[in-house]
Amino acid sequence: MLEHYMAQASTYASHVDGLVWLILLITGFWFIAAEVMFFWLLWRFRAQPGHAARYIDDHEEHDIKYKWVEIPHRVILACDVALIVGAITVWTEVKLTRPPTDETIRITVQQWAWTFQHPGADGQLDTEDDIVSIDEMHVQVGKTYLFELASKDVVHSFSVPAFRLKQDAIPGRVITGWFSPTQTGDFDVQCAEICGIGHGIMPARLVVSTPEDHAAWLANPTHYLAYQY
Amino acid sequence: MPSARPIILAAALACLAGCAAELPAQGVARGEVLFQNCTQCHGVDGGGSDLVAAPPIAGLPAWYVEVQLNNFQTGLRGAHADDVEGLKMRPMARTLKSAADAKVVAEYVAGLPAKKGAARVTGDVAKGQAAFATCGACHGTDGSGNEALKAPPLKQIPDWYVVKQLGKFKSGVRAYDPKDATGATMKGIASGITDEAAMRDLAAYIHTLPL
Repeated sequence: MLEHYMAQASTYASHVDGLVWLILLITGFWFIAAEVMFFWLLWRFRAQPGHAARYIDDHEEHDIKYKWVEIPHRVILACDVALIVGAITVWTEVKLTRPPTDETIRITVQQWAWTFQHPGADGQLDTEDDIVSIDEMHVQVGKTYLFELASKDVVHSFSVPAFRLKQDAIPGRVITGWFSPTQTGDFDVQCAEICGIGHGIMPARLVVSTPEDHAAWLANPTHYLAYQY
Repeated sequence: MPSARPIILAAALACLAGCAAELPAQGVARGEVLFQNCTQCHGVDGGGSDLVAAPPIAGLPAWYVEVQLNNFQTGLRGAHADDVEGLKMRPMARTLKSAADAKVVAEYVAGLPAKKGAARVTGDVAKGQAAFATCGACHGTDGSGNEALKAPPLKQIPDWYVVKQLGKFKSGVRAYDPKDATGATMKGIASGITDEAAMRDLAAYIHTLPL
């Protein structure tokens, strides 16, 4: 369902969405249950003629606590375990493991622009046919990419919503990660860490192409820098 | 998300209505309001800040500011991967959504009184003066600039900025696009400057030019 609002354009996008659903369903169930209970109690024990308030005795208290506190508490703990297992599973897939990668892209971010260094036709970085572009990244569908992320100044965050990918960029560090696009198209790249007055106006475009279109771009790398009023 | 669109649209229109109420339709008054975006780096008086490598812009001719804003918007300037300051300026210039807005901001900037900051660069003024003869051909012997040649005035440009920009021209970080004709001229001139020491000499002399 989330894919109707935001494309799931990477191999792990649907897994991240699955985790979001798991969190939503579990927390949503307990939220609704707690609200229903709250309002039912307000109605059930409203002031009524002939019903005086009284203290409950120890025996009643034990039964009520077991029924309304201890049982839900244990069920919620079981839900927590489910959430933690789900979160660790996705985290391990996205952040802690890396499949074999086909190419490397170097991403350098600064206030307020993205620089992408793509390997050329030879598939290798730091060779003569590298293509450097500002605010525009080109990748090929079906390939798996390693990215090297660095910041020139302050903390930024490389966010590609369609990939369900977000990675902070820390000055002084080169942080690596991976993605594997599954859909062709143009997608947004945004900074997800407040980085100064230009934070909101530093979007970039991600172009995911077929092998043929990507090869054509490598041969003639057009850039969208031309600005139209 | 069809059901949310009317709400988002209404909210956006409400925001725009709020903005429109404060933004004059045209003229220098509009330029003054739009200039607020620039003040974060260039200062409320347009005096610049070397801490963030933002040059003073107060008193620069409107034609020059307009051309540079256009260059930043179109990618003729500030779109080189090694131009850290230019890459900051580029999206800011793009916040101006029309040529008319760029023009009124330029007019407002031109109306601000130019100021000369303290010297930040040490160099041989005599050597710089001798080398400046080449610069004077376009920028004027007094550094007042020449609109016909698209040469901006230099006399109010701070010394640190002179060194930085000459370095960028020489290395190709500026004037990287063949369509940047005036930049290409400067690139050619800067490539003839032997090293940074010579740039510092020039900057030291330019700093002595009276406003």
